[in-house]
Order: sequence, then structure tokens, then C-alpha cells
Amino acid sequence: MIPRCLMAMVCFLIWASPAVAQLNVVATLPWIGSLAGDIGKDKIKVTTLVKPSQDPHYVEAKPSMILEVRRADLLLFNGLELEIGYLPVLVESSRNPKIQPGTPGYFDCSQFVEVIEKPAAVDRSMGDVHPLGNPHYHHSPRNIYRVAGGITEMLATVDPANAGFYRTNLAGWQDKFKEREKKWGQTKLKGEKFIAYHKFFEYLAHDFGFEIIGYVEPKPGIPPSAGWVERIIELAKRTKPEAILTTSYYGTREVTFLSQKSGVRYIVVPHDVGATPACKDWFSLMDQVLAALK
Amino acid sequence: MGTFIIFLFLGLLLGTPSVWAETLEERIKKLEETIQKQQEVLKDQQKALEDLKDQSKQAKVAEPPSAEPPPPRDYRLDDRSRGIYVPSASPLTPYSLTKQVTTPGLMNPAISVILDTEYYHSTLSRQELESRSAPGYLDPQEAPFKEGFNLRAIELGFFAPVDPYFNLYATLPVTEDGIELEEAYFVTTSLPAGLQFKGGKFKSGFGRFNAFHPHAWDFVNAPLAYKLFFGGEGEGLTEKGAQLTYLPNLPIYTILGAEVLQGDNDTLFGPDGGPHAYTGFVKSSLDLGANHSILFGGSVVGGKTNTGSFAPDTELKGDSVLYGLEFTYKWKPSRWRSLILQSEYLYRHQKGDLTDTVALTRDSLKRNQDGLYVQALYQIDRWRIGARFDRMAIFKDEVLLAGEKQNYSGQPYRWTGALEFNPTEFSRIRLQYNYDKSDPNKVNQEIFLQFLIAVGAHGAHAY
Repeated sequence: MIPRCLMAMVCFLIWASPAVAQLNVVATLPWIGSLAGDIGKDKIKVTTLVKPSQDPHYVEAKPSMILEVRRADLLLFNGLELEIGYLPVLVESSRNPKIQPGTPGYFDCSQFVEVIEKPAAVDRSMGDVHPLGNPHYHHSPRNIYRVAGGITEMLATVDPANAGFYRTNLAGWQDKFKEREKKWGQTKLKGEKFIAYHKFFEYLAHDFGFEIIGYVEPKPGIPPSAGWVERIIELAKRTKPEAILTTSYYGTREVTFLSQKSGVRYIVVPHDVGATPACKDWFSLMDQVLAALK
Repeated sequence: MGTFIIFLFLGLLLGTPSVWAETLEERIKKLEETIQKQQEVLKDQQKALEDLKDQSKQAKVAEPPSAEPPPPRDYRLDDRSRGIYVPSASPLTPYSLTKQVTTPGLMNPAISVILDTEYYHSTLSRQELESRSAPGYLDPQEAPFKEGFNLRAIELGFFAPVDPYFNLYATLPVTEDGIELEEAYFVTTSLPAGLQFKGGKFKSGFGRFNAFHPHAWDFVNAPLAYKLFFGGEGEGLTEKGAQLTYLPNLPIYTILGAEVLQGDNDTLFGPDGGPHAYTGFVKSSLDLGANHSILFGGSVVGGKTNTGSFAPDTELKGDSVLYGLEFTYKWKPSRWRSLILQSEYLYRHQKGDLTDTVALTRDSLKRNQDGLYVQALYQIDRWRIGARFDRMAIFKDEVLLAGEKQNYSGQPYRWTGALEFNPTEFSRIRLQYNYDKSDPNKVNQEIFLQFLIAVGAHGAHAY
């Protein structure tokens, strides 16, 4: 009885182990997974932990995620403490020596980013401020260009046999980038004013020269009170911004109300790859974001 | 001659200061003038500097989107990044760290401080509370809350990676009676094959509820079955010992674990020479679509018993085994909406000799008892409502003393309802009502207003 059980167990384990030696890459956010897929193509197997419908600030460490991280050869994450609520517990519980902090497999994409809004002093009375700076840099082409380079070099390090393949793919990606960049550069957003729900579009504003004059959240992570909404309506009426920017996971209840009261339209900006069907990869995400802002 | 000298002296005495004063005044005026001039110069320079800054700012902001004349500036490669970025044919070094992104600080552990304070009201008097028991399960225990203001603890938590092989954790609740050592353990990070080793004093992997610290409980107090089988407030099994867990690479999450424990829990085990409690557990989890997940499993803990908790003036020596089954379901479609259903079933089998320490008689004692709790938590925005039902003697309530069945006429049960407001993830206000009939003689109706306030390092939350 017991030997038969063991046999079945062993057979099961053999069946469960992957047949082709693809590099297992686990990414926290959809855009990171998509970027890695563009570089690694069929040489890597990408698993993304966070769904495009989820608020990246509030993700729960599910056991299924622990299992994904356990299998990872490389763990790619956003960094700047965006994943602080779930990633440390996933990494420890994964029991995976390849992706522990301090190893090359523990890959913080923000190391290539010129971080903005790094607070000089911070405490939580300011709301859920990210003490290492604004973590939502994925809408910034200049930063993602470098992140793509960094991911390529890391893939080449972890999987040296395919280093040439990854670097060739990066070159192709960079060509595409230069082509798109010309198009994006023609987006006329310079000097325009917007109101945003959360401090989510600062890198976009920084790169494309527009201004965010107010936030629907009174403080990061704190939902607006009735009094605050009144102040935002007053601000919107007085300054007449182009639009109120939000993302799908904040819902449209508050922005619809704001929009009706102030006469300023709202735009649901795709926040990540997969947020809308058209956002297939990082390039089309940027296309969609800039098209939405026009 | 004398008068001359006197005049000279007077002249000197009176005249010189005035002369000095004039020159000083002049000097000061001159100085003031020069300072003013310098200030003007400085102002001009500052203005020029600010203008320059503004220009450069405008230039920075303006350049990326300016399309006329095309082609636009290659904005991703500004001077700084040009220094960092080198074409990808060269090795890894070009992508050096632009900054250190490690938190906590290199030499300091992450520290969290959590305040757990409550206002308590009971329909029973202090004396009645102190004399409550659950006959057949547990003798009277110290009432954890007093009428009025209570401060359960301020819990200090420390965490840091030790080196590439270990992480260290310590949890020290400070109460008015002093500092306690709730947990202090290391855990390995780099064992191969999905293995992990834990050592020190830690919360056992037995069951579901057992793993949580009081501040993370879903209600102010622990499930009844935990209170009656583990004693105390129902914190469960926190022991010195060693744990080995294994996470096999299977298509579904399954974790297997075993522990050797000192067995200090004085309700279930009690003091004895050397480690004398052992646990084993298996848990599995599945995602059912994007928003639903379940966790289920079974646990067992067994060991040598030497306890006085059966009844006053008694001593029980023998063996105990406690079995646990757990089930958790979570529906979490967004940050603002969730439903959690959770249930655990515990079954205790105990056999031994009961000594009456006054009459000095000894009889055999056999207990087969069980208990269950079912709870639901529903969250809307920053509010959460919860309900829990606890009941003992579900399938089995057998106490045999000297072979004779004892009848304690008790099916202890308790109803709990709670309403929470969570201003942020660092603060929680909870209003809770208990209808507690764990002692069949007296119903205890309780109301709690609890404040849980956390500062310090942001701990990651377990499932």
C-alpha cells in the first residue's frame, strides 16, 4: 500500500516538473512581466503575480503566489516599497534560495530609475507616503528604457547560454522604442493642468511636461471626505484643468460626482498592461495612456 | 604746569571719546553703505541664479514633448543616465545601483510597535468573572479583562535578515506587569528543495488561528475551543522548539510540517523533563478564479501531560493528543470589498491518572471532547462586520473518571458580533459584543471597544 502510494507520488512529481528547461521568471506587476517577455521571448516562462484589475498597493500574499515564487529562477519587482505588504512574506515562505534578498535573482527594477518625490522627512500622518520616493515610474519612457536594459543583463547573467539572444531582443526592443518615442514626443501635453486621484501620474507629468494641480485623495491612500471633495470641486472650477485622471481600481463613483459638479471631464487612464484589452504590452500601454490624455 | 596737565587730562578725558565717536559713526555709515551695496549685488546674483534655475526647469520640462522641430530630443538619455547606460554588449556593470534600495537600514532591525487597548463592560461582577469555569474542560482562569479601561499590551516586533541564510524575528508584548517573550526565533531562507527550518520560541504551525498574534485576531478574544484546550486567553500553542517545513513543487500549494516542542503549555502538556510534544500538519491552498481562494488542512499535536488545569487541587498525568481541521475561504474582488469565511474543528483525546492533591486519591481519567468555531467577515470600504459562533461538544463530550461517565451538563457556546472601522491599514477601531455561555451556570454578556494602533516598520501580512 505505502510503496504504491510513494510510486504514485514520484510519478506525479516527475509529471509535474517542467519538461523544457525554460527560465522561470516571476514578476510582481503586469508591465514587468510583459517587459521580461519582450526580452526573453520563448526562452523564459513568465508568471505575473498581480492581476491587472488589482490595486498594486493592496495585494494579499496568497499561498498560490508562494508556490509561484518557490519555482522562480528570477524574481522581478517594482521596488520602492510598493510591494512591501506582500513580497517579503512571499520571498521568505517560498523557501527558494535563488531569489532571496542579496542574490541576483532578487531583482529590484527601481534600481535603474531616477526616483522623484523622495521625501526629506516622512511620517504616516502624511498618509501612505512611499518613503523611498514615488514608485509609479512605469509610465516614464526614459526610465523604462533603462529598466529594459537592466532586465536584459540580468537574464544574460542568470542564463548565460542565451545571453546573445536576450541582447538581440533588447536591440529590437530599443529600435521599437525609438520609433514610438517619436510618436509619443508629438503628444502636446506641455503646460496642461490635470487633477489626479492618486500620486500615480507624476513620472508621466515629469516626462511630458504637464502639471498635476490637485488630488482627489486628501493624502495618499486616504479616501476623500465630503469636505475634501467640495474643495476639489472648487479647485476644478477655479483652475479649469483638462481632466481628472484616475485608474480603474479606484472606481468611478467619486470622479463621476466631481465631474458632474465641476464640469471637468474625467479620464480612466490604463494603469498597467492588461488594464484594457488594447494594452497588450508596455508599448501599447503607453500608446493608450497618451491617447487617453489627448 | 599742573593746571596744563589737568586741562590736558580733562581734554583727553572729554575730547577723545567725542572724536572717536565721530570717526566710529563715519566708519559705521561707510560699513553700512558697503554692506547695502553687497546685499544688492547678492540679491542681483540670487535673482540671476533663480532665473537660471527657472529657465533650466522650464527647459527640462519643456524639452521632452516639444515636437517642433522634429525629431524630439533623445530624453531618455540625459547626462546622468548617459553616464550609467552603456550599450548592452558589455557586461553587467553599467547597470550599477543608482542608490541603495534596502529597507530596513543595514544595521537596524525593522521595528514595529502596536498598541492594543480596550474599554470593557460585562454584565457579571468581578467575582463572578473570576469564578467562571467550563466544567469538564477547564477550571476557573483569571479573567483577562476588567470592567472599564484595559491595556492588553503594547507589542514590540523586531525583524531583520541575519545573513544570506537566516532571518530573525522577535515579538515582545509589554504589559503593565512587565515584558513578555511571546516569540523569538530564526528561520532559514536558503535551504534547498523547498525546506525551511525554524528554531527558538515560536507559534506552532498547528491549526489556522494559532499562527496569529492577538493584534491580528479577527475578534478581541480567541475561539472558545482554543481557550478551553490550550488555556490562558486562547493564544494557542507558543513553544520553544524546532520546526521543519517542506513546500514540494506540486501543481497546488501544499505545505507539510513537523515540530518538536518543549511542551510548556500548562493546560495541554505541562512541565516535564525535556521536549515532550510533537506536531505534524499538512495544508493546501487553491485559487478558484482570480478573486476566490481556499485554504484547508489538518494538524495534530501530541505529548506527555502533567497539568493541574482539570479542576482545583488536582494533578493529571498522562498523554494528550489534539487533532485539528481547518478551512478558510476568501473572496477579494478589490481592495474595498472582501468576504472571509473560516472554521476550525478541534478534537482532544486525553488519558491519564488524576490525583486529588488534598485527599491523595488517584483515579483514571479519560477525556474525548471536541469543539468548533465558524466565523464570517465582510468588508465594505473601510468598514468590516464580523460574526462568530463557538460551540463545544459537537460530536463528542466524554469524560470518564475511574471508568464512570461524568455529566457536566455543559455544551459551552458563545455568539460574537463585531463592527470594525479601519481608518488606514495601521489603525483599527472595533466594537464587539459577546453572548458567552461557556459556563453553563452563568451567561456573560460582554462589550468591547478596542483600539489597535500600529507604528513603525510595515510588516507584510500573511494569508
